[in-house]
Amino acid sequence: MPAGTRLRAARSTGAGPGRLLVAVYAFFALAAGARAGWQLTTRWDEAPVAYLLSALAAAIYLVAAVGLARGGPVARRVAAGCCTVELTGVLAVGTASLVWPGGFGHATVWSGYGIGYGFVPLVLPVLGLLWLRRTRPDRSPGNFPNQVNHVQ
Amino acid sequence: MVDGLATTIIVIALLLAGFSGLMALLARPPGLVHLLGLTVVETALLAQAVVAIGKMFSGDRPETMTTFVGYLLTAVLIPPLAALLGVAERTRWGSALIAAACLVVPVMVVRLQQVWG
Repeated sequence: MPAGTRLRAARSTGAGPGRLLVAVYAFFALAAGARAGWQLTTRWDEAPVAYLLSALAAAIYLVAAVGLARGGPVARRVAAGCCTVELTGVLAVGTASLVWPGGFGHATVWSGYGIGYGFVPLVLPVLGLLWLRRTRPDRSPGNFPNQVNHVQ
Repeated sequence: MVDGLATTIIVIALLLAGFSGLMALLARPPGLVHLLGLTVVETALLAQAVVAIGKMFSGDRPETMTTFVGYLLTAVLIPPLAALLGVAERTRWGSALIAAACLVVPVMVVRLQQVWG
């Protein structure tokens, strides 16, 4: 693939499939955030851990949406970090909610691997990471946010 | 709530989702049909909002007011935002975006029905 195509692709995490991804991330930030905010303000006593987890998930979705929409080197790294935390979170909370039902008091965004949200919370970070990998500016193997890539 | 109107919205939104999904598969960007479809969905959603607000003022209240109003507002915002983003993305992904938005609308309408109780 010509270098020009690579460079142009590297800048466009917010276009093409990326725009759909950003839209879904933004919608989930809104949906999960509004719900968690409402739960935290009106029924804090019932299940604070579950509601705080949902609020955290919503905050991560928002940062990921902004990171993907901006798409600079720093923004890409932030977005990749968010996607990794999301994937870890949805797998950990999903497993915990199955092993230990009722452990969080109430359902969170990530309970049952995101079954309450049509499993989108499970699919979204995977698509995000694949998309970041697909649009990354260099060809060196590995795309982990903590890995030092060569100067871009 | 008005069951007939809710069903109409769900059917139109799903038809538009199917059409937009097909256009995305055929690599077509969003066109006039998408925008007309979104306008129809938006009109129906606004009608539903007006009816719901009217009912709330006449004493027939949903069980959890804040949640209901939240879903009502979100639902009304989806088609215009989908149109803006879809037109900005003049590739197959614009069509895919509108298809995704049209799949969210039925979910919002069903949630509205449930919250009304």
